[in-house]
Amino acid sequence: MLYREALNRAIDEMMEADESVVILGEDVGRYGGSYRVSEGLFAKYGAKRVIDTPIAELSIVGNAIGMAIAGLRPIAEIMTVNFSLLAMDQIVNHAAKFRYMSGGKMTIPLTIRMPGGVSRQLAAQHSESYETLYSAIPGLIVLAASNATYAYYGLKAAIAMNDPVIFLEHELLYPQEMEFKEQKAFDPFKAEVVKEGKDLTILTYLKMRYDVLEAVPTIEKELGISIEVIDLNSLRPLDMQTIAASVQKTKRVVMVEEDHKTGGYGAEVIARITEELFYTLDAPPLRIAGEDVPIAYNRKLELASIPTPEKIVSRIIAWGAKHGI
Amino acid sequence: MEYKITMPVLSDTMEKGKLIKWHVNEGQQVKKGDVIAEVESDKAIMEVQTFKDGVVKKLLVKEGDEVPVKSPIAIIETATAQAHAQQTPSQPKEESHPQSSTSSQTLPPELAAILPTKTKELKTQEQKETKASAVVKAVKGAASPAARVEAQKLGIDIEKLQAEQKLPKPAHLKDIKLEALKRYFTPKALELLQEYALDPSVFAHDHKIDADEVQAYIKSHNIPKTIPLSTNRLAVKSNVETAAKKPIYHVYETFTLNPPEDVKITAYLLKVIGDTMQNHPLTRAVLEDESYKIYPASNISVAVAKGDALYMVVCKNIESKNLKEIDTWVKEIKQRDYSPDDLQGSTFGLSNLGMFGIRAFDAMINKKDSGIAAFGKVDKNRVEAVFTFDHRILNGVDAAKFVSELKNNFAKGIDV
Repeated sequence: MLYREALNRAIDEMMEADESVVILGEDVGRYGGSYRVSEGLFAKYGAKRVIDTPIAELSIVGNAIGMAIAGLRPIAEIMTVNFSLLAMDQIVNHAAKFRYMSGGKMTIPLTIRMPGGVSRQLAAQHSESYETLYSAIPGLIVLAASNATYAYYGLKAAIAMNDPVIFLEHELLYPQEMEFKEQKAFDPFKAEVVKEGKDLTILTYLKMRYDVLEAVPTIEKELGISIEVIDLNSLRPLDMQTIAASVQKTKRVVMVEEDHKTGGYGAEVIARITEELFYTLDAPPLRIAGEDVPIAYNRKLELASIPTPEKIVSRIIAWGAKHGI
Repeated sequence: MEYKITMPVLSDTMEKGKLIKWHVNEGQQVKKGDVIAEVESDKAIMEVQTFKDGVVKKLLVKEGDEVPVKSPIAIIETATAQAHAQQTPSQPKEESHPQSSTSSQTLPPELAAILPTKTKELKTQEQKETKASAVVKAVKGAASPAARVEAQKLGIDIEKLQAEQKLPKPAHLKDIKLEALKRYFTPKALELLQEYALDPSVFAHDHKIDADEVQAYIKSHNIPKTIPLSTNRLAVKSNVETAAKKPIYHVYETFTLNPPEDVKITAYLLKVIGDTMQNHPLTRAVLEDESYKIYPASNISVAVAKGDALYMVVCKNIESKNLKEIDTWVKEIKQRDYSPDDLQGSTFGLSNLGMFGIRAFDAMINKKDSGIAAFGKVDKNRVEAVFTFDHRILNGVDAAKFVSELKNNFAKGIDV
């Protein structure tokens, strides 16, 4: 199943089951969505439930919040996380806080979908990863879908939630064909142990999951160790239970993220691990992250500013040699 | 006020501790951080410190006594404890009071643990803190957090061992575990454990285990020794695996040789085969995609065993060398090292096991060679040879013509 098809199926099924579910955003209607996620929904549900909006992010989220207050269950699509900064006031000051400001009397059952990350040569203004911003806001739930299974079940769960959810996608994943695994019981807040191992835990999310999985066999061979790979899935709340179980077993942890290193999401994860699991660590945690630069347009420079499978291999091997692996 | 020092909890499994030695006497002045005793847990011997200044009022257990964990072992008379004592009983059963957790943090952990007014929840918190602070205080030296915890559990002095250069700096968990094993295993025994990939826990850790004891275990349990393939062996493995995929067949013949004296038999075989190859172009051929590359030179690869390596050293331009030159080449190949050039460029191979008294055998074709001749023991100038040919290069008829001319040439004499 294509990643974007999984998202489409999730939205379609939720709209079918509950007529309070509506979708709004730029080009989500007649055009079928910038990444074809809402394809076919306009024809099926009509202009009242699949709403094309002006190119004005603040109004998209503002309207969606109004709809949510009035009893609808809106899904707002922002074309990329880069543009969501325009809607920041509505997201942070209103969506995240309304439940608390009303003493719990009103909830905002809103899902804001947006793709982020480094695609191919979209340059600095279209290549950011802002999970670190949204994960720092109490009142928001932040989910990151790296695969078709989580895209489908995670998005359905997000739409069903009564609190505002930032649902992060990745631009390079939309056209990817992925394995879809039927889930009997699904917990959107649970991290996925993608591969089991006993000597090192690699934590990752979104597109980096695939770069990590590509790098792992070489690292395992070079260092003679076995590696556990965990896809975090839920960034806020963070599934510390799954992380702790793994780190207690492996005693070493590496965080791989596409986001910039300084103040990136991995900084929070590693801080939590250091605080809570310090005495189980046998090596200082390693962060492999994007460089602290706006992402360049030039393809070579673009690749130089984010982790690649080759960089993941060489950094972990160098780190391993230094810290007793 | 009295400050009670209790038997510390040194590991999760520890229920009782044995008092090994007192470092203080009753009436002695002590300072916070002073070591007052040594106790033995189920795993190691550890030092017990006082967390308060004061005077040792009473030692409650004798050296050699075993007492349950957390039971008092000594009473210290302190000046500062009085302030705390007044404060604490004044807050009875204030379970959810936000102040109670803050005030308890100012109490020494031992005191907090024995005070009756503390809630259960608070106690667990205090115990955790005791554990953590004990780790930081007791373990010095450069080590990972996990290594420090393990070192403390096992009573290993990282700082001392690092000063003696017996532990790497920083030390990791595996170094501490190895250090712990050294207590129970002699160095020879440890080597055996490693060689046979044995789990140390199959031996009871209650005495020093020597190599004989490990050896006896290996024998009685028929434990295999794992030897990873050397680079040389891996090369042989890869070469013969490639060779095994070739479509081959064999030709068998007995030759009557006529070797001159004072010349190595291998040199004589090389010269005769090399000269004969000149009349049989396909023995000088290499198959590439859908064409043959026929080389003018008679270059023969010779199987040379050196240690655990098997080399196919190439004797080049045999057709233009005399027997004496080839003999010199044969005599020196066992001694010298090979350059990449020594090991390439052949189109046919030779293997000789005659010196081991072997009557006949067949050999595997080296790399891209068209075939190989395997020679057994020469007995009254007669020798059996088995030829292996690559059927893609030489058909049966081509091979038969080559071997039959070879037979004639062997019977003829040869000039040295």
